Amino acid sequence: MEQTLFERYGGFSVVSRIVLDLYERLLDDDDVGPFFDDIDMARIVDHQTKFLSSLMGGPASYTEDQIRKMHARLDINDVHFDKLEAILRQTLSDHGVSQQDQDTIVGAFESRRSLVVEKAP
Amino acid sequence: MTIAAINEQLLRAIGVGVALLDLDSFRLRFCNDTFREWFGEIEIGGELLDLFAGFDADKLREGLDTEGRYTTETTFRLRRRTMTIAMSFNRALDDGEAIAVLVCQNISRIKELESMIDSYSMMVERNTREIKREKEQVEKLLLNMMPRSVYEEYKTFGVVTPRLYEPVSVVCIDFIGFAEMVSAHDPAVIVSELNDIYTAFDRIGEQFGCARIRAVGDLYIAVAGMPDPAEDHAQSAANAAIRFLRYLSQRNTSHQIQWTCRVGMASGSVVGSVVGVQKYIYDVFGPAVIHASRLRYHARPMKIVGNAALVEQLGSQFAISDAGTLALSEGEEEPAFAIEAEVRTLQDS
Repeated sequence: MEQTLFERYGGFSVVSRIVLDLYERLLDDDDVGPFFDDIDMARIVDHQTKFLSSLMGGPASYTEDQIRKMHARLDINDVHFDKLEAILRQTLSDHGVSQQDQDTIVGAFESRRSLVVEKAP
Repeated sequence: MTIAAINEQLLRAIGVGVALLDLDSFRLRFCNDTFREWFGEIEIGGELLDLFAGFDADKLREGLDTEGRYTTETTFRLRRRTMTIAMSFNRALDDGEAIAVLVCQNISRIKELESMIDSYSMMVERNTREIKREKEQVEKLLLNMMPRSVYEEYKTFGVVTPRLYEPVSVVCIDFIGFAEMVSAHDPAVIVSELNDIYTAFDRIGEQFGCARIRAVGDLYIAVAGMPDPAEDHAQSAANAAIRFLRYLSQRNTSHQIQWTCRVGMASGSVVGSVVGVQKYIYDVFGPAVIHASRLRYHARPMKIVGNAALVEQLGSQFAISDAGTLALSEGEEEPAFAIEAEVRTLQDS
């Protein structure tokens, strides 16, 4: 059986390190950071680690509905989402994820943009 | 630079928050840069407890007075991050003055990792439970298809060696007018009826050590004497067969759809093996199965016909009558017997 990205890059231990680093960067970002002002980071890091793992073929899964609900109360626009993708890509790159695999992972985020970004009424 | 100066520089620069307090008033005497970074600017001489909301001063005092130390944790937000700091107070003496040394360690990351580990172990446990449940279902399914000993062999080695079982007794049943029944009734009704009947047969068979090996449409085949050899295989099979009929007669009295079966029985040998690679089944075939299957064609409604080998084994326990000879295979006539009922001995009645 073909190895998943999750297995290839070293499973939870590596993915959780990437996610912790990702949040360090997101929190320091003036556009995206404020979204986390009143958020329990432990929970969000946990969710994000599982989410990233699931995108990489790991043992977790999130339905579209769950993702939509998690972001429902947040006023996230395309600029924020673009910023997230840029920071994610840089973080993945710094952790040695290949260009092609970055495309796969960032592409998986991109395909869920409409679930997260608030549409103008 | 003097040693004292170096020490002070070190103390200021380390990634651990350090503060010295006056033991009586808890007023700050000194704090290093890390401490300030975490807890904000506090003036020397300021009250430490003002920094922390909900801090239990009495417990701190009690801890320092009795054991000379006190530990606690505090959580707050700093630059969008949840900080958890472990605080350790220790009583000390400085030139005869009672002071407390406060050492603070940033355990936010540890807390994050702890909660992550908790969450993952819960997920792993949930996944493990699911896998276990699925495994049990697969096992149940396979145990429906093959005897446990065969399943164990299959599980361990991935293959099953075909085996000759001899002697065993086979019971073969089908229903008269099944094709007409299928076209006359709703398919769901027929399936539900068959389920009902086969489940009852399975239970009866289980009681007598005569296990079903196949049920295809209206054909039901059960074998006694395998996979574990049993001396009384013929009795087991005959006991089961008689009760199959008894059950069916009983059922017909209270059900709208009437089922009439015929039963063929034979003792002899069979081969048991897993057949197929992808779509495998555990199959039992051989002379005894063929014999029983052919004999059932000659059975009258709700009657049992058996071969000579079976009847020899049965002895006087059953009411058996001669049913003449039958040509089961081309040109070969062989004796057949009607098995009526189990004869109750004086002891049983």
